[in-house]
Amino acid sequence: METRSIVDALAESPVTRDMGRAERRRLAALAAITNAATGDVLLREGTETSHLGIVLSGRVALRLNVLGRGPITILTVEPGDLFGWSAVVPPYRSTSTAVAIVPTEAITFEAGPLREALAADDDLAAALNPRLMQALARRLSATRDQLLDLFGRAEGQAW
Amino acid sequence: MVTAGQIAPAGSGFLPRAGLDALIALLEDDGRRVIGPTIADGAIVYDEIHAATDLPLGYGDEQAPGRYRLHDTGGERAFGYAVGPTSWKAWTFPARVPIGTAERDQDGHLRFAPVVADPPPVAFLGVRGCELAALRIQDRVLAEGPAVDPDFVARRRSALIIAVECTVAASTCFCTSMRTGPEIADDAADLVLTEIAEGFLVRAGTDAGRTVAERLPLVAAGDEQTSRGRAAVAAVREAIGDPVALDGLAGRLADRLDDPKWAEIAERCLACANCTLVCPTCFCTSVGQRSDLDGRASVTERTWDSCFSGDFAKVAGGTFRGRREDRYRQWLTHKFSTWVDQFGTSGCVGCGRCIAWCPVGIDVRAELAAIAPPPTRRSIRSAPVAAGGPGEFITARIDSLHPETPDTTTLVLADVHPAIAEGAPGQFVMVTRPGLPAVPISISRYHPAAASIELSIRAAGPATATISGLAAGDEVGLRGPLGRGWPIDQADGRDVIVVSGGIGLSPVRPLVDALLDERDRYGVIRIFHGARTPADRPHADDLATWADRPDVELATTVDRADEAWPGAVGVVTHLFDQARWAGREAIAFVCGPERMMQATAAVLLDRGLRPERVFVSLERHMDCGIGLCGHCQMGKAFVCRDGPVFSLAELGSNFGREGV
Repeated sequence: METRSIVDALAESPVTRDMGRAERRRLAALAAITNAATGDVLLREGTETSHLGIVLSGRVALRLNVLGRGPITILTVEPGDLFGWSAVVPPYRSTSTAVAIVPTEAITFEAGPLREALAADDDLAAALNPRLMQALARRLSATRDQLLDLFGRAEGQAW
Repeated sequence: MVTAGQIAPAGSGFLPRAGLDALIALLEDDGRRVIGPTIADGAIVYDEIHAATDLPLGYGDEQAPGRYRLHDTGGERAFGYAVGPTSWKAWTFPARVPIGTAERDQDGHLRFAPVVADPPPVAFLGVRGCELAALRIQDRVLAEGPAVDPDFVARRRSALIIAVECTVAASTCFCTSMRTGPEIADDAADLVLTEIAEGFLVRAGTDAGRTVAERLPLVAAGDEQTSRGRAAVAAVREAIGDPVALDGLAGRLADRLDDPKWAEIAERCLACANCTLVCPTCFCTSVGQRSDLDGRASVTERTWDSCFSGDFAKVAGGTFRGRREDRYRQWLTHKFSTWVDQFGTSGCVGCGRCIAWCPVGIDVRAELAAIAPPPTRRSIRSAPVAAGGPGEFITARIDSLHPETPDTTTLVLADVHPAIAEGAPGQFVMVTRPGLPAVPISISRYHPAAASIELSIRAAGPATATISGLAAGDEVGLRGPLGRGWPIDQADGRDVIVVSGGIGLSPVRPLVDALLDERDRYGVIRIFHGARTPADRPHADDLATWADRPDVELATTVDRADEAWPGAVGVVTHLFDQARWAGREAIAFVCGPERMMQATAAVLLDRGLRPERVFVSLERHMDCGIGLCGHCQMGKAFVCRDGPVFSLAELGSNFGREGV
């Protein structure tokens, strides 16, 4: 994908669509398009996070490995959402394994250059960081709801 | 009502056909210009007539959307056609009238003076039921305040009204729906004529009409003649039918301002303003100045204008209704909706002129039906309850059972009382077995023809576990159907969003069945379901069937899954909180654990849905199911009786509030 169409993709994405055009263009200069086949591992839990990504199409499962139970999917990243936030949050290690479970296209930002750009460019940092926090807050709140196990067996039912 | 005379006991009689000339002559003798139907330029228009031969004797018309043709049908009928392009407003509210003058006198002073009409007395001959209604509507708008148009009042007062009941209908007529005709009440006009083969049945409705009738060569009308006249008018009513669903139309239109169909109509509409010019009630005007060449005197003129004109809503910075869809919407919603707010009456009388004279044949009846379709069937009824009080159950037999999930079982019941088998989506029954408390269970599918329903029961306590553990052939007691279900009629014409969590899919399954039964009544249907794990998804066959349908958008998610699951993982709102669709005109039905419904409601409101159109189904302790026992009280509602389905607007701040 040309830089021009990356700009378009960023303009479309819920993560970056209301960002200033100048910041979006600077972000586009750091971006690449990654196409992942079903089963491709994009990030591996516990290892250094190589990329921050925004899913354009397809589906990325975030999995945690539990000894004896195998890998458990705790969230899927759907189009418009991001993965690899740990690329910009110390200690820069992935908190889950990210696997494409259908053919997936994503905008990806290499972790090193992205961190350098955020350190050097306050405007870019001021534009991107709140959006990452928003995405993470949404994920945290959803995770809390999941934690409640709302569909599980309720205790003490009368009938 | 402005009338030329006072209401008098109606004198009636029969006027032979030859007496029509006598009628016209005596009206002229009274000093009146007689205005009636006559043929000009291939159409029947209203203009001055002097003899019966000026009428379109023996002519009929053929009208359809964008079409008007006259036919010489032979015979002597004087009124054997429907209304043409002119309406009486051409005489009561002319297209161009002077309303004031301004002059500069010798000394350079300006003098302004109003022009007050002093019209000669006229008689309108051949005013139809719809046209009488149109005159009454213009009376309301122009003569009954708060502002009054003196020119209209003068012209209207000068007119004696001789009405004619229609004995033929055009395909464009819809007076029956607008309740303006074809029958004409005695006191609705000075004189009322009904044409039969050999002449006219005459009724006088006012003193002025009686004064005319007394001088006519009337003979007593025979009963047989009278009943022939009635039958002819009744046949017109029958022929027209009831093409516009008037009840509630004003409100439905007001709710449809963002309907995409306005733009579709605009692709056909030429904004030519023909409809407003032929409309007998349209009253919008502009006031302009015309001055003589030396600039000493000018006349202020009132001319017809139209909300379809490009400059009609123009201000210095631009125009408020620049697009044709804006102008068409303005016209239609004014006629059928805001006119009611302003004047207490519809602005349409159902004459059909705007249909015939639209050059592209836009049919207002069809557009109303498309944009603001009437609710049909299935309005939430207080259903016939098959068993009454808390102690009354009727027996049903378990025909079969199948597991839905590890803890949920679906019972297919047979021999179900018809009142239950014909219940509404979202209603529930109380289910019991001897020795166990009755439990409220939503009906998860209806098979009314087979006297059967399905109940999907989660084994959560002793009673539900016992019922889930029954076998085919066992019997249960039922009471219901209870509660207020999903308001499906409010979904007509809208995009529909159905969100359910876990076993909350069961109460919405009959809703989805009903939506799909009449799929073309609704816009996009989006169904979202969340479950704990893939194995905890109830009604998996239905989810698969809906997923295969091209006319349904289905998305499901689970809270956790193993590697084999190719679908989404996450909370159900995850499926649409980043979607691009807008929800302002959509309707949503939500069922699941209350906290899941709260999270869903928050996202739906965020997407623009109105609280009045987000419906949730609440679960509370329901013992009696009919609002007697008090267990399920929530604020001012009993959930069992007033719900379990409520809109967010109805629940207000009680939704999600702790301790209510």
